[in-house]
Amino acid sequence: MATPATAAEPAILRLSGIDRRFGGVHAVRGVDLEVRPGERRAVLGPNGAGKTTVFNLISGEFPPSSGRVELFGHDVTNLPARKRARMGLSRTFQTSRLFAGLSVEDNLFLGALGVGAGHLRMVPSSKDGRLREQARAMASQVGLDSRLDDLVMDLSHGEQRQLEVGMALVAEPKLLMLDEPAAGLSRAERVKLTEMLLGLDESITLILIEHDMDVALRVAQWVTMMHDGAVIVEGTPEEIRGNQTVHDLYLGSGLISHE
Amino acid sequence: MNPIVSTKRFSWPALIVVVALAAIAPLLVSDFFLNSILTKALWLGIAAASLIFLAAYAGMVSLGQVGIYGIAGMAYANLVLADGGAGAAWNPYLALIGALVIATVVGLGFGWIAARSEGIYFLMITLAFSVLVYYFFSQVTGLSGFGGINSVDLPGVVGSPETDPVPRYFLTLVVAVLVFLGLGALSRTAFGLGMQGVRDEPARMRALGFDVTRHRTLAFGVAAFVAGVAGVLSVFYNTRITPGSINLAQTIDVLIVAVIGGLYRLEGAWVGALTYALIDNYSREWVPEVGNVLGPARFNTLIGVLFLIIVLASPGGLIGIWDSLMAKVRTPRRAPAPKPVPQTIE
Ligand SMILES: Nc1ncnc2c1ncn2[C@@H]1O[C@H](COP(=O)(O)OP(=O)(O)O)[C@@H](O)[C@H]1O
Ligand SMILES: [Mg+2]
Repeated sequence: MATPATAAEPAILRLSGIDRRFGGVHAVRGVDLEVRPGERRAVLGPNGAGKTTVFNLISGEFPPSSGRVELFGHDVTNLPARKRARMGLSRTFQTSRLFAGLSVEDNLFLGALGVGAGHLRMVPSSKDGRLREQARAMASQVGLDSRLDDLVMDLSHGEQRQLEVGMALVAEPKLLMLDEPAAGLSRAERVKLTEMLLGLDESITLILIEHDMDVALRVAQWVTMMHDGAVIVEGTPEEIRGNQTVHDLYLGSGLISHE
Repeated sequence: MNPIVSTKRFSWPALIVVVALAAIAPLLVSDFFLNSILTKALWLGIAAASLIFLAAYAGMVSLGQVGIYGIAGMAYANLVLADGGAGAAWNPYLALIGALVIATVVGLGFGWIAARSEGIYFLMITLAFSVLVYYFFSQVTGLSGFGGINSVDLPGVVGSPETDPVPRYFLTLVVAVLVFLGLGALSRTAFGLGMQGVRDEPARMRALGFDVTRHRTLAFGVAAFVAGVAGVLSVFYNTRITPGSINLAQTIDVLIVAVIGGLYRLEGAWVGALTYALIDNYSREWVPEVGNVLGPARFNTLIGVLFLIIVLASPGGLIGIWDSLMAKVRTPRRAPAPKPVPQTIE
């Protein structure tokens, strides 16, 4: 397996010296990160390590206190989230952010529409039909084809997590970022999710935050370990499995002790 | 903060029955009822519908709708031949279009500013807007006459309401149905679904690539157009417009109409307006004189109490009460569905 350090292609994502403070909380401290096209990267670390904040800085939810974010070779540090999305970045949220009052199909319809044109179209159009086809195809890919017309507020937690992933994928992103997609899923659902991630098109770059080591280390080729806002270890899944610091952190927080 | 809203689609049979009843109403009721209750409820309902549309589909509760309809009404009254105001003496149909364009453009401009704020701040900004419009027209007598613009010229379709109120009633009815169907259809378009996305999860909308501010601005523009329609119809109804008819009390009345009907469904606008018009006219006869406490003059107290009861009993207003009654009638008690058996043991 090629490690990013030896790959020749330019980075699809580069964070340089990223810092983020929330009042007194120094959530992210001097993080450097490089991800290459097609790479499968896992970001691990105990709760509060700053993983989600790094995602928010990459997706443009808020700007870094200092440092620089480059996406697809462009400096996007001051670009709003929606423009980054339209460049080909999709993300999910740790706690689902779905359109609760809309149906599954309408949710995915908006997911597909977002990166396209015609946001303000006030009349029906044949383009809607194509977006709906895309939405339905994605629904079956994430196992929700029987719930197309159901409102999101009526879905189970597991179904909402599946839709959360579908919402990011339906935009056909170049860079896909998943924030704990397996959280709260049953073992069967986690296995299905892992299969789906392993089956992703090779051209899609994936960054995955995941506490479930089975999912994370099976999917990832390269792992970034965070603690207290900083990157403390990087390596292959094998290296991470054998790393003492990782064990201390995870065993200390009880995250893998029950497995 | 907002309860999760699902804007259910209405039922065609119910709409057809209501419209059919409304269509034969002139045969069934007195001219007074046709005018003071039904026609008034229809245009007031359109004003409330512009508020409900924003609240239900975009999650924006606005107190600016009366400001917008005041602008439309004043614009119309100034553009046609009238007693007071600018008296531009345009053709009434042209003035109608002009008034709607002005209301929509002002709505878009103001919406662009207001769209950046949310919740209570949005409420305050829109309230300030309505108050500002009221003071503007109170003070600029060149545009509002002294105490109002009277004998406003009306378009031919309205006929002469003093002798025959039926044409004006039908015009208002047709427009109300068009507004209802139009807003319903709009909610199913790309823009309308996006608006509901902005209502439910603006952060997700941004992450999907949408410009949330632009969506909100345009939603406000659409609502302003609808409020403008109500404003012009209110001038047709009154054949005059005064600054007093677009003051803070009217802003609150339109909010009350919307809340009584139900903030989450467009139908609520007309249910609320009809309730309001009935109480407005008949409370004087119904309400007994009880010392200083109750009495025919206590219309506002009565409306206030009803408002309070409805807000406490059902955030969805009368429509919400109806919905939950129907839900109870339709679904007989069923045993809870058995829990699915997990396939693997955790
Ligand atoms: N929007 C925010 N406002 C204030 N503090 C925040 C915010 N987001 C994250 N934090 C804080 O930053 C730290 C890192 O949080 P987070 O990135 O969510 O960690 P992780 O995803 O690794 O569990 C935590 O102490 C958290 O409380
Ligand atoms: Mg997190």
